[in-house]
Amino acid sequence: MPVITLYWDELEKMVGKSREEILSKLPMLGCDIERVSDEQIDVEFFPNRPDLYSVEGVARALRGFLDVELGYKHYEVKKADWKIFVDESVLGVRPRIVGCVVRNLKIDDEVIRSLMEVQEDLHWTIGRNRRKMAIGVHDLSKVNFPLCYKGVDKNFSFVPLDFDEVMSVGEILTRHPKGKEYGFILEGKDRFPMIVDSKNEAISFPPIINAEKTRVTEKTTDLFIDVTGFDENVDKALNIISTMLADRGGVLESVEIKYPSKVIQTPDLKAKEMEIDRNEVYALLGFKLTDEEIKKALERMRFGVEIGKIIKVKIPPYRADIMHEWDVIEDIAIGYGYEKIEPEYPPTNTIGSTHPWNEVRDLVKEIMIGLGFMEVITFTLTNERVQYEYLNRKAEGYTEVMHPLTTDHTIVRTDVLPKLLELLSYNKHHLLPQKIFEVGDVVVNDLNRLRVAACITHSKANFNEIRSVVQAFMGELDLKWDVNESDDNAFIEGRRADVIVNGKKIGVFGEIHPEVLEKFELAMPVAAFEVDLTEIFDCGELL
Amino acid sequence: MLSPFEVKLIKSLEIGKEYSVDESAKVSELSKDAVLKAAYLLEQKGFCEVKEVVTKKYHLTDEGLRYLKEGLPEERLIELLKTMDDLSEIEKEMGKKELGIALGWLRKKKAIEVKDGEIKLIKDVEFKEKEALNLISQGVFDISKDVLKNLIKRKLVEEEEEKEIIIKVLKKPDVELKEVITDLTPEILLSGDWREKEFLKYDITIPSKDVFTAKIHPYERIIRECRKIFLEMGFVEIKGNYIQTSFWNFDALFQPQDHPARDMQDTFYLDKYSELDEDLIEKVRQTHENGWITGSTGWGGRWDVNKAKQLVLRTHTTAITIHYLAKNPNPPVKAFCIDRVYRREAIDATHLPEFDQLEGVVLDKDVGFKHLLGLLREFFFKMGFEDVRFRPGYFPYTEPSVEPEVYVEGLGWVELGGAGVFRKEVVEPFGIKGKVLAWGLGIGRLAMLKLGMKDLRRLYLPDIGWLREFPAIKR
Repeated sequence: MPVITLYWDELEKMVGKSREEILSKLPMLGCDIERVSDEQIDVEFFPNRPDLYSVEGVARALRGFLDVELGYKHYEVKKADWKIFVDESVLGVRPRIVGCVVRNLKIDDEVIRSLMEVQEDLHWTIGRNRRKMAIGVHDLSKVNFPLCYKGVDKNFSFVPLDFDEVMSVGEILTRHPKGKEYGFILEGKDRFPMIVDSKNEAISFPPIINAEKTRVTEKTTDLFIDVTGFDENVDKALNIISTMLADRGGVLESVEIKYPSKVIQTPDLKAKEMEIDRNEVYALLGFKLTDEEIKKALERMRFGVEIGKIIKVKIPPYRADIMHEWDVIEDIAIGYGYEKIEPEYPPTNTIGSTHPWNEVRDLVKEIMIGLGFMEVITFTLTNERVQYEYLNRKAEGYTEVMHPLTTDHTIVRTDVLPKLLELLSYNKHHLLPQKIFEVGDVVVNDLNRLRVAACITHSKANFNEIRSVVQAFMGELDLKWDVNESDDNAFIEGRRADVIVNGKKIGVFGEIHPEVLEKFELAMPVAAFEVDLTEIFDCGELL
Repeated sequence: MLSPFEVKLIKSLEIGKEYSVDESAKVSELSKDAVLKAAYLLEQKGFCEVKEVVTKKYHLTDEGLRYLKEGLPEERLIELLKTMDDLSEIEKEMGKKELGIALGWLRKKKAIEVKDGEIKLIKDVEFKEKEALNLISQGVFDISKDVLKNLIKRKLVEEEEEKEIIIKVLKKPDVELKEVITDLTPEILLSGDWREKEFLKYDITIPSKDVFTAKIHPYERIIRECRKIFLEMGFVEIKGNYIQTSFWNFDALFQPQDHPARDMQDTFYLDKYSELDEDLIEKVRQTHENGWITGSTGWGGRWDVNKAKQLVLRTHTTAITIHYLAKNPNPPVKAFCIDRVYRREAIDATHLPEFDQLEGVVLDKDVGFKHLLGLLREFFFKMGFEDVRFRPGYFPYTEPSVEPEVYVEGLGWVELGGAGVFRKEVVEPFGIKGKVLAWGLGIGRLAMLKLGMKDLRRLYLPDIGWLREFPAIKR
């Protein structure tokens, strides 16, 4: 989630309240404050509120939340003659484009920084790393309208931003840092999206890079903004940027987009309307509010409100998160103040119960602790080396993860015993004897099974000792059991046994083979057992 | 406290009487070594006095022994004088040397007169010497000092010094004297001897050698505590497989298919796919694409069933919760799950690729957001956090959403998990009737607060020393 840096001077000026007031109320608007210093405050806003990724957006929200300026804020868009023609050739590649002209801005470092930050944050969040949506910002005076948005081949050339040489699309994708970073979005395409001006010169190669010639400088006063992509996220992004710049004092002018089949004017900053049912408010929040309270709460959150038989709400154009009536109701709760809601324990009356899986776990723990073993917990993520190779075992029924982060964690364990041996190898410096056990999940053929495994290590740990433990353990479970000669090569031949219940192997025990001990760099004998509890217990339903 | 030897000794000696070691050994039936040891211990405790006494002993020389047998020379001379008076005759009889001795002694005692070769007895003499020799030979030294001195002078008796230890009991302990028991043995129990004896009192302040408690992992204690709270509040425990379809892990929870959380950056995907329920697929597809009948706009775009079929290591236990609610859509339902979840994250002190998560849901008709807050407050209160506050939060599948915070001494307000009411887009495709209040938190966070841990890796790769030292109850 994006962390926004807000400078106190700027924020205080824009909100019209002191930093103390701002600091005390900001968390209740919905954000996590990361750091506070004398100059600045770093705030993490939630991904559903991209309109708060700029100081302008935060100030606008805070002016409402702190009762400086309530209700819906109207944004005027002057009708103008800026035009973009959308060519058929781009529709299969990156079909949507919207634009806006912003005039009379005082562009200083602050504005440029804020603009670049919000652009990056929007790219990352609603743009899904530029895949769904990408924004280009240009110096209007360098752009010769009308523009054309079309698909070009990879030989189309221009001077990309931050370069002083003409490069082809193909070169940009292989050589330009942004081309290398975002080229994957256009992988496999033979046409590439390009915005060209009336001289057929590129101004932007979305979603990769702008042309150098439209670079925004401190002398820039008027901006042209393009947003390209696939769906309504382009409108959301444009609305957020254009309202933010309007809050900075910019005058917005519309851009006409001529598609082959339709013509639209952007940005569309008209409010969407939504009807809210009072009863739904009461039901979702669990308590009644007066109409006045609802109105005040919504206005604090910068909604327009008309209270009648039904509550009519005007949704600001920069709000990208309102999908459902409940989204507005949440804002009523926030505007009302979470701290003012009186919590009440729900009246829902049900009988509690444990899951059989954990009942078995608890029972087994009790027995093992009674036998003097200490409980340990280990990761279920492991690797083939530790699980099988080290134990001289065959790899079977395991689950491999895609794109593991480290070679240590490539699979989910099918056995607990290797994890215990691994654990002993990390604890060689502690006093002996060491007796440890774990009762926990393994995953065999993609399904969880419950296992218990235990290890004893000291200078005289042997088969007899672990057999006594298995005898006691199986005795506590009141099970008829038997042993078979085992062929598990983790153990020494002639000192290893399979545990048999109802003719089926449910576990194994014995003295760990010196070869195995060597691999784990263990210098003391280890006697161990592992039993599959799922085989002998009803462990209940797993979803 | 007296040892068995001390008791035996002090019991057998009389107060005020002096005993030699030999005597003491005899009456106490102890060895001389034991007597000495016990006597010194008793002396330290003020029960007796032990002193070294030097005594004189005498024995006869060879000459003395002969005189004892034959009589002293002067005695013999007097006997002879009764029948003879000629000196030369007597000398023949006694020998020159002895006659000389006898004459010397008798002259000194003025008992004889020697004149012209004749000896004349002038008075009778009493001889105590022989009797003295006789007594000394019997070990009796109660003899007059003059006599003894004479005998020594005459080299008939030799003197020797002997050092001796004398034990004298000054007082006896007030309590009845019993023998003490050091190790209580089956023999002592069987014989009932312990009734007459006391137990040796040990120095209880000396630490003994370490033994280690077999016990549950401290982390499991927290999990148990959480389970107990849920059960007390009437929740049903549920459990699911670690491997889930993306459908239950993401799609059922209205997570858009292009959501960053679904990236392979953050999730462990498996190269495996599983079939899904056709009816559910259709409802979820429509909800994602256009909101279906939920009143939502949906996410737009196309929902890809193949993405939903791909298996993942579940990223949260909510995958299990929603599946359970889909199977139990009728209120009231209260369920909880505490189990392992996976995130594709590099390991460090506060991030683990797998950890345990706790989650609870309430499904009911007439409950709302304030009831969720009530639940949270109660839950955290039971967890020992008395101050709870609520801040707006964001989770893709809840609306409203809330981030509860608890007040921790020394840390201030600490965010502890998240909560919210399941969105309609989540509940309606599964015909879940009512509102679902849900909350969850990572137990690692709880462990850090409750166990005072700074490094979560320690939980899943425990140091045995740490486990041994970690108390069953941490205060």
